[in-house]
Amino acid sequence: MNLEFNSVTKKFGSILAINDISFKVSQGEFVFIVGPSGSGKSTLIKLILKQIRPTSGNILIDDVDINKSSSQRVEKVRQKIGVIFQDYQLIQDKTIEENIITALDIVSYPKADIPAQVDDVLKKVGLLSRRHLFPSQLSGGELQRASLARALSIDPKIILADEPTGNLDPENTWNLMKLLKQINLNYGVSVIMTTHNYEIIEAMGKRTISIKYGNIVQDTAIKKTKKSQHKES
Amino acid sequence: MILNTTWHHIRRSPFQSLTAILVIWMTFFFGSLFAFTSDGFNNVLKNFETKPEITIFLKDGLDKQTVESIQAELSSYPDIREIKFISKDKALDVFKELNKDNPLILQTVTASVLPASFEVSANDPKVLSQIAQNFTPKTNVVDEIIYQKDIINSLLNWTDIIRKTGLIVISSLSSIAFLLIFAIIGMKITNRKEEVNISRLLGATKKYVKTPFLLEGIFYGFFGSMFGMIFATALAIYFSSQINQFFLPITFVSLDYIYYLKIFLIEILLGSLMGLLASWFGVRRYIKY
Repeated sequence: MNLEFNSVTKKFGSILAINDISFKVSQGEFVFIVGPSGSGKSTLIKLILKQIRPTSGNILIDDVDINKSSSQRVEKVRQKIGVIFQDYQLIQDKTIEENIITALDIVSYPKADIPAQVDDVLKKVGLLSRRHLFPSQLSGGELQRASLARALSIDPKIILADEPTGNLDPENTWNLMKLLKQINLNYGVSVIMTTHNYEIIEAMGKRTISIKYGNIVQDTAIKKTKKSQHKES
Repeated sequence: MILNTTWHHIRRSPFQSLTAILVIWMTFFFGSLFAFTSDGFNNVLKNFETKPEITIFLKDGLDKQTVESIQAELSSYPDIREIKFISKDKALDVFKELNKDNPLILQTVTASVLPASFEVSANDPKVLSQIAQNFTPKTNVVDEIIYQKDIINSLLNWTDIIRKTGLIVISSLSSIAFLLIFAIIGMKITNRKEEVNISRLLGATKKYVKTPFLLEGIFYGFFGSMFGMIFATALAIYFSSQINQFFLPITFVSLDYIYYLKIFLIEILLGSLMGLLASWFGVRRYIKY
């Protein structure tokens, strides 16, 4: 799944959240979106999910403008995106297992394969023993992992992770990053992760788009391209 | 899964669900009782309608030609069901049958003292009123006219009042039930707004999100109407012998199970439809995508 932002601007009233941003994420890429609080990171995620519409510009997913797409098309796109929300967004009166089953049901996952898939993702995130608990019975780290389990369960083409390590201790943070890296490498799933944890960014060595006041101030992919062009010349 | 979600919604707010079922139960319970009562009065009315509704007693000493001309005139009215001529001898037979336990009276009465008569029944009671009006002035041939107009009018009035009262009560209860389901579904959607939004973000279709709420409305309508009908039927059958005894020989409370089955199916259909419509309006009002 390819993602492209073309001169996207988003204003909330007179406040400029995103200012004329353009970038492209190809299938299988791992991209960090980094910036201080209020820089527009979460707005980017919301724009991709069409939770909000851009004031101008267009967002292409597999070369189709998501904002000009029918609601059916948007639903299909969302079904291919595994989202890890900053505030988890788990259904409170459903158990962790039921939350995952709901996600699988939404994407019409084969019924017979659902139990095995639920077991598999819960095992991956280490929540097998917590499957029958409700979100209110889990710690912040466990909730984050439950959110990850739900995102992984649907075999997504792309994972959007909005500050997924924000509530995790160092050990769980590195476990999560290891897991995301594995999924990215083994299954070719694109990962777009917002964070302001520079330690992770440095350790992972992946493409990083830095945003400040709604503007892209640095895109390491462009930097690398420029460097290689300079070397060639 | 959608059915599971529907059941989950119902289970998670049991008092709201119970209120919805109760109000529909009440609507259909009273609806059924009004239907049974109205049908009972219809049976009474039918019974009166099938009996001679007007009796024209003739003067003594009329010749055969005059009697035949009266019969011909009666036949000329529209909607006449039956015209029966009761001769003096036949009148005596009827009199004997009615007073068989009183031999003293039987000894004193002979055919000569009893008048011959015409018993006329019609499909439309208005015709009988017309006959009574036209024959009353014919004092040369008519001795007396007995017309069950008052009984029929009274029955018609009662049936009409019961139907109208029933209609008002049922309409009011249905409106309350409708608005209540609408409000309950609205409340449930508001309570589950987060779940709806999360599901939409995960790619749930509009149908996927809305269907459980629609099914919930149907559930309330189906079970509410079913319980209402069951209770009303049980009550009617329980008191049927006393009520039917009172209205003898008329069967006021039907004991035919086909009759109850028909009403049962109609009410379940209406209840489910009401639940569906109310929840549909609720979903339209509260889920906007």
